[in-house]
Amino acid sequence: MSATDFRTCPVTALKVHRPAEALVKVNAVVAVVSLLIGAIAAVLLVLTRWQAVHLLPAEWFYRILGVHGMSMLIFFIIFYEMAVLHFASTALINARIVAPKLGWAAFALMLGGATLVEVMMWTGKADVLFTSYVPLKADPLYYFGIILFAVGALLVCGIFFANLVVAKREKTYTGSLPLVVYGAVTAAIIAVITLLHGAAIYIPTFLWSLGLMEVDPQIYRMIWWALGHSSQQINVAAMVAIWYMLGALTIGAVVLNEKISRSAFVLYILFISMASAHHLLVDPGMGSAWKIVNTSYFMYMAVLASMIHGFTVPAGMELGQRLRGIGTGMFGWLRQAPWGDPGFSSLVFSVVVFGFVGGITGVTIGTEQINIIVHNTLRVPGHFHATVVSGTAMAFMGATYYLIPLVFQRKVAFWGLAKIQPYLFAGGMFIFVMAMTFAGTFGVPRRHWDISFSQAPFDVAFNPAVDVLLAFVALGGIIAATGAFIFVAIAVKSVFFGEPIGTLVPGVAVAGLPQGITNPPKHVADVDRRNEELHAPGRGFLGPAPGTMVLVFIFLAAFIVYFFVNWKVLSFVWKIG
Amino acid sequence: MPEPPVQDEQAVPLGQRLFDNVFLLLIAGIVIMAVIYTGWGLWEIMTLPPATLP
Repeated sequence: MSATDFRTCPVTALKVHRPAEALVKVNAVVAVVSLLIGAIAAVLLVLTRWQAVHLLPAEWFYRILGVHGMSMLIFFIIFYEMAVLHFASTALINARIVAPKLGWAAFALMLGGATLVEVMMWTGKADVLFTSYVPLKADPLYYFGIILFAVGALLVCGIFFANLVVAKREKTYTGSLPLVVYGAVTAAIIAVITLLHGAAIYIPTFLWSLGLMEVDPQIYRMIWWALGHSSQQINVAAMVAIWYMLGALTIGAVVLNEKISRSAFVLYILFISMASAHHLLVDPGMGSAWKIVNTSYFMYMAVLASMIHGFTVPAGMELGQRLRGIGTGMFGWLRQAPWGDPGFSSLVFSVVVFGFVGGITGVTIGTEQINIIVHNTLRVPGHFHATVVSGTAMAFMGATYYLIPLVFQRKVAFWGLAKIQPYLFAGGMFIFVMAMTFAGTFGVPRRHWDISFSQAPFDVAFNPAVDVLLAFVALGGIIAATGAFIFVAIAVKSVFFGEPIGTLVPGVAVAGLPQGITNPPKHVADVDRRNEELHAPGRGFLGPAPGTMVLVFIFLAAFIVYFFVNWKVLSFVWKIG
Repeated sequence: MPEPPVQDEQAVPLGQRLFDNVFLLLIAGIVIMAVIYTGWGLWEIMTLPPATLP
């Protein structure tokens, strides 16, 4: 290691280890390519589920559904998370990557595995959907590709922990890890739990596909979901870490209480992976005690954690704004926020849709009794598109608008488009998610090529409103996919053909650079006096962040109404008398 | 730039030291999941009596 291995970031003054930075770049680029593949697949899918268009034949619908699931839920998200892990364990604590060659080997394994899986799926040798439930059998190379990918990701987690140990020994930071890095630690730990379960199920399934052993379908489902669902919990932790980072970068958000935020991350580590049991709530092989303990008593600890972050992130943003004297009244801090900064707008949309839509629907449909009216309907993908796409993908896009200048040292291309891209993506996804959720309420099944059953000997009549709702699914999906394509175009142009950021003059706006970079939020001189005023007892029970408190009460009211409406709907299933 | 003050390990509260122990958290996360979800789940499936044929 030499001093030339490091560069100093002109914006944050952080020491950036170049070998780690290279790995951040390649992982982020592959993540964006995966997003492109997944978004193309998404357009084909929504145009098929829209009954009036019904684009793909059945075989290709299910094939593309598998491609969409793997490209988005696994490759896009996990490659991006690997970039986050490399970034958080080096740049954010002025540290170095301890094993860069191993990092490249891990990347090669992941890339090779992902390519193998894509080839198997596109060539029709793995028409087993994302879940690949046994006894559906794919080509052995499909399972082998996933194993390669998982081993690579596990190696990156190992490098991440090693970086932290060496950084502590070399005293590149003092005291506790910064909160954003702590969020990355949480993501890495959940990733280890997830990948261990992935190995526990995919290695036997690979051997089964070669005819060397048997795999019990119920055991497969139980262990597979510890991979399939927990992998999305890695996203949650990484997303929340990005929320804290973007809040600080864009409007100088403060951390309300380190203990509270860290406790919430620890609750994730201990309890969030059990949410996997939601997928088995109607499985006859699992008992009620196992289902209820996993999805209720323990899982609610993780729900509590999400609600804590859902409060502390916006409250920290509000307090940061008020400490700098920005905004008056209940929501002035929000009105005067930099809505033209795509990093900020992405952050807000991610928090709001993840919490209000993804969170409320998730907890409700994860209740054992209510799940019976939800299972395998479009309400399920309606829920997880609100969390994984509107929440996680939106946050990752917002972070990218800062990563491009900070890591790639390029201006964001197509700056005008970049400003509206979060609105397009979030707006489209909101239409998509709501339409899907309502269609599911009418009993429309998920993963279904043709709900008109046109060639079947029997008929199922859905409410006519379903046709309109599925058209809105397509409309929202196409708008969101357009937002995703614009994002990909911006990322590719910026990274490969972008203009260098040049010399920055603090306070001078530059097209292509978010305002958090050209004019970083700073505390004012009398910040302590303002802080005392904001925390004065005379401000009443709404405290120093009254706007966020009002939003919290609206959230809780929506939660209560949605929850009890679902119990009421459930009561219609068994009519007595 | 002045050297940052060195934090006295003994002065750090127990809760903070536990939360700062990444590997303790890693083990706790794996063990809880392995016992409550995976282990218990496997036991449920393995002890399920086979259905009798009609």
